[in-house]
Amino acid sequence: MHLNMKSKVLTTLGICLLALPGFCRAANNCTWINEATVSGLLGGMAIVEVTEADTNGTTICEFTQQGDGFKRVFRLTVDVTSEAHARLESLVPSCKIDAFPLKAIGNEAQACTMNDLKSGQGERAIGRVRDQLFTILIYTSLKDDPILTRETLKIRINTAAELVAGNLF
Amino acid sequence: MKRFHIFLLFTACLLVAGWSPVPILGQQNAATDALPPAYTLSPNNATPVDDSPAEHEELANWKIKAEKMQKEDRGAHNASVTPSYNFHYGSNNPYTPGNLTVEGDGFLQPSAYPSAEYCGTCHHEAYSQWRQALHSNAFRTPFYRTSVNLLIRDKTRGIAFARHCDSCHNPIGVLSGALTEDSKIDRSEFDSDGLTCMTCHSVISLDSTNGNGSFKMGVPSVIVDEKGERIPGMVPFDMILKHPERHSKAVMHDFLHTPEFCASCHKANLPVTLNDYKFIRAFTDYDEWQQSKFSQRNPLTFYTADFTTCQNCHMKRNAIALPDYGAKNGTFASHRWLAGNTAVPFYYGFDEQLNKTIDFLREGNYLNVDIFALRKADGDAMIAPLGRVSFNLSPSENIEAYVVVQNKNIGHSLIPEVRDLYEAWLEFTVKDASGKEIYHSGFLNPDGFLDPRAHSFTNRPVTDQGEFVDNHKVWTIHSVAYDNTVQAGRSVLIRYKFRLPADVQNAYTVTAKVNYRHLRQSYINNVLGKDHPAYPVIEVASRTRILKIGENLPEAGNAADNPEWMRWNNLGIALFDQFQYQESIQAFAQVVKLRPSYADGYINVGLTDIVWEKFESARKAIHRALALDPKSARALYYDGLLERRAGNTDRELADFSTVVGMFPQSRDARRELGIFYYRQHDYDAALKQFEALQKIDPDDLAAHYNLAILYRRMGKPKEAAEQQAKFADKKVDPGAPTYSLDYLHAHPEITIESIPWHLHSDQ
Repeated sequence: MHLNMKSKVLTTLGICLLALPGFCRAANNCTWINEATVSGLLGGMAIVEVTEADTNGTTICEFTQQGDGFKRVFRLTVDVTSEAHARLESLVPSCKIDAFPLKAIGNEAQACTMNDLKSGQGERAIGRVRDQLFTILIYTSLKDDPILTRETLKIRINTAAELVAGNLF
Repeated sequence: MKRFHIFLLFTACLLVAGWSPVPILGQQNAATDALPPAYTLSPNNATPVDDSPAEHEELANWKIKAEKMQKEDRGAHNASVTPSYNFHYGSNNPYTPGNLTVEGDGFLQPSAYPSAEYCGTCHHEAYSQWRQALHSNAFRTPFYRTSVNLLIRDKTRGIAFARHCDSCHNPIGVLSGALTEDSKIDRSEFDSDGLTCMTCHSVISLDSTNGNGSFKMGVPSVIVDEKGERIPGMVPFDMILKHPERHSKAVMHDFLHTPEFCASCHKANLPVTLNDYKFIRAFTDYDEWQQSKFSQRNPLTFYTADFTTCQNCHMKRNAIALPDYGAKNGTFASHRWLAGNTAVPFYYGFDEQLNKTIDFLREGNYLNVDIFALRKADGDAMIAPLGRVSFNLSPSENIEAYVVVQNKNIGHSLIPEVRDLYEAWLEFTVKDASGKEIYHSGFLNPDGFLDPRAHSFTNRPVTDQGEFVDNHKVWTIHSVAYDNTVQAGRSVLIRYKFRLPADVQNAYTVTAKVNYRHLRQSYINNVLGKDHPAYPVIEVASRTRILKIGENLPEAGNAADNPEWMRWNNLGIALFDQFQYQESIQAFAQVVKLRPSYADGYINVGLTDIVWEKFESARKAIHRALALDPKSARALYYDGLLERRAGNTDRELADFSTVVGMFPQSRDARRELGIFYYRQHDYDAALKQFEALQKIDPDDLAAHYNLAILYRRMGKPKEAAEQQAKFADKKVDPGAPTYSLDYLHAHPEITIESIPWHLHSDQ
């Protein structure tokens, strides 16, 4: 009986905990990719914070999956600019390590390994859809992340870039 | 106990987040570059292997677990998705404006579908073809996304309306409940695969031939048990390899081979739930096929052919290049679905798909281009058919050239489907011996735009403001300013006028070619901006003739040329469609002269006479045809019309009844027989015909109209009201032509394209 009671309490608590994120989280308001998708890409539940377009037309969606002693981040920046191609060209030199073209994503895009992380590992994608420049960073603070391995990161940056570009069209 | 709760919590958290640690039950996705699991193909008709009692039990246990997991996953998914889902059309219509439905209750989680890679483990050939084909890219292609994103971003519409388009472009997204403002679903699982293997192979029934995704999706299953009951989800490969017949039963329904299956998506309308206006036909490959010679369901086609389905052309069996356990005798039905789309493989760099598409377009003998005749100055007799007659030409002469383009072997129109986006046109050039252009119509401008005065087999949908719907904003379409498509089996006559220069000497070359570009330049610009590479222009069919200054003698034709009688026949058909009845009859008279035993030659004369209201002459021609071929359903049909006019009801009934007996799916014969019974006050018999007609074509206006009256007379007000409402919804808005006129007034450069009988000239 006592055990049954304990079980019921635990189950109820579990259900409440499950429901909490739904109540607590802000609306899913990143225009180009949702929390569930990024959660799938990061390998765990991510929370988004959106910085709406500033005077330069830059919008940032930052998704964070906070773990126990680590975090995984998905950062999307979208700029609307009449010189999108030229600006993309200017970003190319900073995206050189293990760079590879992202074929058939937007008008043009490429990915590379992030080299400016103090710890952990990550991938960067830069690309363009018409006059919209986008940058995606996916990184983890863990050096040997069991989910976001170097190989997985390359696959997921490609998937992320395709999904974002699709919504930018 | 504690561990269980932690596991429960963790799993539930993941499910709430919209993803699951798939595959829980089955294997990890296998890479298709690895060899498929070992398997020896059983000979055809081999007796299936019997399971041992232990294997029976194992399968039964697997089924119980799989069903339990499916139920739990689906329950958790719905608990996550339903509360915030936008039920724009009420909770009973979660997928409207799409027509698709799903087995069971609530949304179906994306993880229920085995991945393409899973299927590809044993079906390398199918997987590799599918990956480059339109179906796998149906959603992600920018050419689609740009359109659907406009709908999603439109202030008067939104993502709920995109269920109309995504029902066919991304059914997993629609059925999972992903198309809502605050989606809780991980799109990375399915967006890139569009129509994955287990979308088509999970369809369990076709609900109608209404299109817009008129199918019912089953819970995906790759195997049935010994009782034929479907087991959801992925299973170990050895389970399939032991019982390929059970795998086949789960994924290969007979209807997959039928045109009706294709119709569920290759037929579309714009319903009032989308456009807040009224039903507008978008496209219908299915009906076009059904009315073509290839269906053998329509007795009124100008030509006949062997029964040919969509799959016979677009899923031809080819020798396999990669291992595939679905192959039969080393061949496999193509999962490339080759057709006309060159833009998608060009964008993705799928060179093999692109090259095969180009080959498909060029090698199918789909079109015939015939530089049929010349006419010198006004009033002179037609010099025709070219190549068969002698004539003289002189410098400075004003020449008219008649080009006949026949839609010879396409089972649908040229251009099918969204012909406001695709571009096929006739390029016509006249060059002197040095290659200098004398006349050129249908050129591409340096900016990639097509010569606006070209003859294009396109249409022009317009808004209620009389503006061209350039961006495929289909929900704004209110009218069509013109539609220059060429229906299956029909021909079109395109006329050009040019002047030979005074100094032209020797010979000059006249070339007519049908070009095809996927897509229109302005649409590609809308999608990618102006700085994109030039998209492929494919020459589908062409014909060149050398014309000499001085005397031209008859010459041998090309292998691809039609026989002379058919050339005249095609001219007659084209003139008939352009309302030039007198000239049409003259052309058909040539057919009769060349092929006096060809009953259809007389029928064509009779048909034209009927439309021209020369009934006595029509009667003679039809009777002549019936004398040659008393069982000609086509002749009997037109005879029925003539007998009706003459008041010979017995003959009328006999004619239409015979045609319906021979062609039970003939819309025209069903309609006329229904009208006959209605006029005879035999309402039960009339009802039967109109109900049959509606089954063939759910949008037939005559069926809606007459059924509304008949049901009312029979005391069925509810059914009558339903038919009446459908008639009112589907009937063309009588005010709509004014939108077209507004557009045409504003665009004089293409106004002539809206007139069937027109002349292209730079003079």
